Amino acid sequence: MGKALCIILILLISLNCAFSWKKDEFRNCNQTPFCKRARSRKPGACSLIATDVSISDGDLVAKLVPKETNQENDENQEKPPEKPLVLTISAYQDGVMRLKIDEDQSLGPRKKRFEVPDVIVPEFLNKKLWLQRVKEENNDDGSGISSVVYLSDGYEGVIRHDPFEVSVRESGKNGKKVLSLNSNGLFDFEQLREKKEENEDWTENFKSHTDSRPYGPQSISFDVSFYDADFVYGIPEHATSLALKPTRGPGVEDSEPYRLFNLDVFEYIHDSPFGLYGSIPFMISHGKSRGSSGFFWLNAAEMQIDVLGHGWNDESVLMLPSDQKRVDTLWMSEAGVVDTFFFVGPGPKDVVRQYTTVTGAPALPQLFATAYHQCRWNYRDEEDVFNVDSKFDEHDIPYDVLWLDIEHTDGKKYFTWDRVLFPNPEDMQKKLAAKGRHMVTIVDPHIKRDESYYIHKEASQKGHYVKDATGKDFDGWCWPGSSSYLDMVNPEIRSWWADKFSLENYVGSTSSLYIWNDMNEPSVFNGPEVSMPRDALHHGDVEHRELHNAYGYYFHMATADGLLKRGEGKDRPFVLSRAFFPGSQRFGAVWTGDNIAEWEHLRVSVPMILTLGLTGISFSGADVGGFFGNPDTELLVRWYQLGAYYPFFRAHAHHDTKRREPWLFGERKTELIREAIHIRYMLLPYFYTLFREANSSGIPVARPLWMEFPADEKVFSNDEAFMVGNSLLVQGIYTQGAKHVSVYLPGDESWYDMKTGTAYKGGVTHKLEVSDDNIPSFQRAGTIIPRKDRFRRSSTQMENDPYTLVIALNSSKAAEGELYVDDGKSFEFQKGAYIHRRFTFSNGKLTSSNMAPATDAHNRYAPDCTVERIILLGLSPQPKNALIEPSNHKVDVESGPLLLRKGMAPSVLTIRKPNVRIADDWTIQIL
Amino acid sequence: MKNIIRVRKVCLPLCCIIIIVCMIVGITRSAATKDSLLIGVSPEDESYYKGLSSSGTIKCKDGSQKFSKSQLNDDFCDCPDGSDEPGTSACPNGKFYCKNAGHAPLFLYSSRVNDGICDCCDGSDEYDGKVKCLNTCWEAGKVAREKLRKKIATYQEGVTIRMQEIKQAKVSIAKEEGELSKLKDEEKILKSLVEQLKERKEQIEKAEEKERLQKEKEEKERQEAEEAKAKERQEAEEAKAKETKSENTEPMQNDIHDNIGTIYEPPQDSAEDHHDSVDEPELSDHSIKDELPNDGVEGVAKDSLQNTKQLGEDSTVDVKTDVDTGNQDENVAEDTESLSREELGRLVASRWTGEKTEQHTEDLDVPLDKDHQNLDETPDEINSEEDNGYDSEDDEHRYDAGDDSEDQVDDFGGEDHYDSSSSQKLESDDELDLSDITGSSSSTWLEKIQKTVKSIFQTVNLFQKPVNISEAAHVRKEYDESSAKLSKIQSRISSLTQKLKQDFGPEKEFYSFYGQCFETKQNKYTYKVCPFKQATQEEGYSTTRLGSWEKFEDSYKIMQFLNGDKCWNGPDRSLKVKLRCGLKNELTDVDEPSRCEYLALLSTPALCLDNKLKELQDKLESLNKDQPQGHDEL
Repeated sequence: MGKALCIILILLISLNCAFSWKKDEFRNCNQTPFCKRARSRKPGACSLIATDVSISDGDLVAKLVPKETNQENDENQEKPPEKPLVLTISAYQDGVMRLKIDEDQSLGPRKKRFEVPDVIVPEFLNKKLWLQRVKEENNDDGSGISSVVYLSDGYEGVIRHDPFEVSVRESGKNGKKVLSLNSNGLFDFEQLREKKEENEDWTENFKSHTDSRPYGPQSISFDVSFYDADFVYGIPEHATSLALKPTRGPGVEDSEPYRLFNLDVFEYIHDSPFGLYGSIPFMISHGKSRGSSGFFWLNAAEMQIDVLGHGWNDESVLMLPSDQKRVDTLWMSEAGVVDTFFFVGPGPKDVVRQYTTVTGAPALPQLFATAYHQCRWNYRDEEDVFNVDSKFDEHDIPYDVLWLDIEHTDGKKYFTWDRVLFPNPEDMQKKLAAKGRHMVTIVDPHIKRDESYYIHKEASQKGHYVKDATGKDFDGWCWPGSSSYLDMVNPEIRSWWADKFSLENYVGSTSSLYIWNDMNEPSVFNGPEVSMPRDALHHGDVEHRELHNAYGYYFHMATADGLLKRGEGKDRPFVLSRAFFPGSQRFGAVWTGDNIAEWEHLRVSVPMILTLGLTGISFSGADVGGFFGNPDTELLVRWYQLGAYYPFFRAHAHHDTKRREPWLFGERKTELIREAIHIRYMLLPYFYTLFREANSSGIPVARPLWMEFPADEKVFSNDEAFMVGNSLLVQGIYTQGAKHVSVYLPGDESWYDMKTGTAYKGGVTHKLEVSDDNIPSFQRAGTIIPRKDRFRRSSTQMENDPYTLVIALNSSKAAEGELYVDDGKSFEFQKGAYIHRRFTFSNGKLTSSNMAPATDAHNRYAPDCTVERIILLGLSPQPKNALIEPSNHKVDVESGPLLLRKGMAPSVLTIRKPNVRIADDWTIQIL
Repeated sequence: MKNIIRVRKVCLPLCCIIIIVCMIVGITRSAATKDSLLIGVSPEDESYYKGLSSSGTIKCKDGSQKFSKSQLNDDFCDCPDGSDEPGTSACPNGKFYCKNAGHAPLFLYSSRVNDGICDCCDGSDEYDGKVKCLNTCWEAGKVAREKLRKKIATYQEGVTIRMQEIKQAKVSIAKEEGELSKLKDEEKILKSLVEQLKERKEQIEKAEEKERLQKEKEEKERQEAEEAKAKERQEAEEAKAKETKSENTEPMQNDIHDNIGTIYEPPQDSAEDHHDSVDEPELSDHSIKDELPNDGVEGVAKDSLQNTKQLGEDSTVDVKTDVDTGNQDENVAEDTESLSREELGRLVASRWTGEKTEQHTEDLDVPLDKDHQNLDETPDEINSEEDNGYDSEDDEHRYDAGDDSEDQVDDFGGEDHYDSSSSQKLESDDELDLSDITGSSSSTWLEKIQKTVKSIFQTVNLFQKPVNISEAAHVRKEYDESSAKLSKIQSRISSLTQKLKQDFGPEKEFYSFYGQCFETKQNKYTYKVCPFKQATQEEGYSTTRLGSWEKFEDSYKIMQFLNGDKCWNGPDRSLKVKLRCGLKNELTDVDEPSRCEYLALLSTPALCLDNKLKELQDKLESLNKDQPQGHDEL
């Protein structure tokens, strides 16, 4: 008996350790009435037609009214006649069309439906084109008429009247369609009603939670078609493949739609369409024949999106013309309005750029934030912090930021310190700052309901909390226990919150301290689906259901504003957020949440990060090592090797895991991890240049291969390798004990192994041997990568270090690259205080030229850094020396190491000590 | 206040002098290094670089490349191993040497050179003019030397203490070894006496014995019949309970739930009460049952009774239990609906933290551990427990008290009696008890017994008829006394054997650790480290085992305790105790650098090694030697 009991207990306890995703705690589509309803609609079900099409205020406006059907039907359905909806189409510069559909405000609807404020950047609105006229044309198939407006050179917006369909097409009556809405007739718009119908119950129950739904059904759904598309991508956040798999259609069994609902999911699984921490309802398509297009729905309510596989509607009566390849999708949202954006592309980068003109470009992070971050739940006390800090120095491993998780606070009251563990937080930060290092503390949106806590006292007195359905301060459970949540959708409350970050208000903070926003989905441990009830009330009587997905966004925004205020607008904020929404890229970085120390989570981190980049959030990463569980050392090393190329590079771990700082696994492993981190530091000038590119164009730092090689079909669904900028290709190793790896190198040009300098042909899949000391990474021929090869304690000390330029020549012996440098901290770059160089190599001559617009001397930024080494890959025969102009002196060309490492250092052609200033114009002629 | 002023007055001129001296030193340093290319070169390496002046070029230390004099410290890395750039940051693998006159010389990673941070106390690593580093070597060196002197003083004293302890240990070990062999001899003799007495006693009591046996047999049969009946009843009730059981879980799992539900999880209504009043004593019952096989029959009967009783009560399986024990059944999550909002919040939070859950799993751990221990227990240990017959009353008493802190099965016994000082002897008990047999009079008592027995045999031999009552009593008494003595001796033998087989270190310097515990209090926890035995963390009445003694590690610089209580979602607890030289055995610091992996510091004279002392003295000597002239006069 004793023995049996013992074994059973052991079994139970070991089960406890197994990772578990609590699937049944989250609603699936069938348990979500609006989703179930929308999914069951048949193609062609929409009977709305567009009438009264006209131009007004520079927009095309129309009314959507139900098609008149015979009386019998009406009587049978007993439905009140649908009120007309108002449709507006606007055109903006750069090929962006905006389509809005809402209830007619002049008919006095019960309530104004929620439109998400503060997401569209004001500059975008200034880009509006004032439409002057609309022309009408007869449809080819005799199905009546369409109205056509100008969109941009080469593109037109079209609205077919009956049944209504909105599309973007290439100009001309026979122009190819690019994007369309309601082509399959799935559009549905549940208008707010005053009264319930007989026997109708508006409340919804899920588990023990009841949603009072005082406004009844108000969902919206419609289909969107992407033409000439092979795949669709985007709509984060899901732990799934980069190219979105169909969720309905032939061969797809029982799949859920992609869910966009910000949730704190405990131990999420690595391949699932279920919703995670953030939501961006932006989808981008790509196809070989045309290129890319994009569709964005600005809506913060729960959304579900089906990707419809080919032949999904084969049995339907409605058949779309099939001369054009097409991907159909179904978009469903619980509330809000139709406020959608059509992006014409045609290149992948064009679509991303167009999208970020609407939601804003990613903020330029401070240089330190692009370096390596060391985090753990928790660095326990000051001694622990100093120990970890000094161990990095002891092992000559650079790091820039040390993080403190929730345990640093006094009872999970943010902005406070556990004074037993952290008696002198300012001194602690200053000690790290003396080595050029920064710290980050966590500040979450749940506020402990503790009368002695000043934040709570003020917030409750001022009525700053979100209210429950009865109008009382909403009281939910999170880390501190009973907690309330600040109503961040209110700009006044955001401003109040921002003030809390001033150095005097945040006692124990210093100017080298930055912030981490976690749990801002928001996570409510005892709420429905571990979040806030949908009938909770926000500022302006907005129901939580209407803005749920944007809650974390506003919190992130308010926190970043706080740091901006703290630095009097001179210090670029750094705020990491878990929840996100379109526009989050303007406020800081995002990470992929509580992943698991498993190989499959390492693998899925790449498509997750790439998808974030495609949807504007360039600055993202996954917890290196995996948050839950203990990675074996091989996995940990592989994670560092891959993580070094994440735009946001942070190691993090759950407090129940074994310590895993880089030096804890023996000398060899320490060396491997050090090397991985060194690679990141070496490439910081390149990364920073890419962050600036993202900041000015929206093009992400980490890119899917198809973004750089849009015509190479082989890479459309590749999410094991990715590009860092346009010059580096990185392939992760995702299996234990891998001996070989197959790497497909796209394009016609060669690729140079970053470690060995070996050239590999492009357009070929190479089977490569795998070593433990790096993952495959290649520089594309025809590019120039700026590096800094001296490793310091942190990026701060690298400021004055000289550069190495690595030139990989293409088949015509040419190459080009860029370097952007500024002070790495302030906003002076916005006034022109930066250098932006273009390096071009052709005809045996390297030229450095200025890319920056001329600025007045007052704003000049001119670092003293020089170029100490230029490496030439793909040049033969070996020249003897080189002539530098304008100084007119000769320098040696010799054989030197590709990487300054002990032991094997492959020899490459090196221009030794040209010592030209990085900020100057110069040429170097190979002799 | 006055004092402070006075100190300042003294300080000011002193400081001025220091600064002046430093400046002079600084100037001479930079003057010296300016024209020398040998920045960052250690004296040992100077000869290597001399090759440059003689032959023009030399090979990098790793032999990979060559470099010329003009390439030495020219801020460009030619040797991948950094040998051409000892004084710049150009090579990532280089090392920079700072002389630090007045303090200890230092090798830095070359990445520290001209990085704007003063690393060498002489400031020689920052020479590009971007920052000014003061030469702090003299002050730093003074502090370091002072510290070193103190350390040496400690070592000097410690070495003596250590030697004494080693001497003492050797004596004690010899004594104990002597005692052990003597005891073994005595055991032999006594054993045969007891055998004889037993034989005699058995003869005498044969008749009564027979009768009693007969009686016992009947009694047993009746009991067995009863037990069978009880079992039947229980099975019937269990079957019934299963039927009334909630959803569709397979029977096996139901059983699991039931067991946990009934034994460890209080029904929801009166959670606290129930927990205290029913659960814990019941746990104790379990342990008693398992440990004392004699009680088996009764224990099982009682147990099953209680089981059946609770099965009836416990119609709903508490959700927490299921979640805590990792059951991911669908209907389990369904059950969260019955939780209050706060309970739900706590439950969900516990997934990340394990906090609340840990409480429960720990509860589960206790019986688990006990079972473990019982299964793992070597026959030796069981014997020693049984042998400690005279202790068993105490033991039972302890369990009856239901004290949590006593849950740890104590292999050595007598732990009850130590006081609260930071280190205690554990074996006072044993020694006290055996004082009558181990004392100088030991031979006399043995002789006495021998005599008595002889006389008994003689007396008894005289009678051929069945024994009378007083004879029987006499024999019985003698037998009882002798066998009690025998078991005492055996117990002592076993404890001595146990002790002497331990690894007391190469010089037996850790002998005195045996039977001692070292304690330290940190915040709410009291940590107790008992070398050769176990380590615990106590908080109020609850005790968590951090580990059982494993071994010395790292050439006797670390004591390792492994396989402590299990952590939620983590490893079994373990503790490493780092040893360092100190004058007293003192546990100074306990830390948990990684979850459930503890680290403590113990100062002890046992670590005050002579050769280490010499090393320190040499170091001090070299520090003093390197000190620039004239400083000591200041």
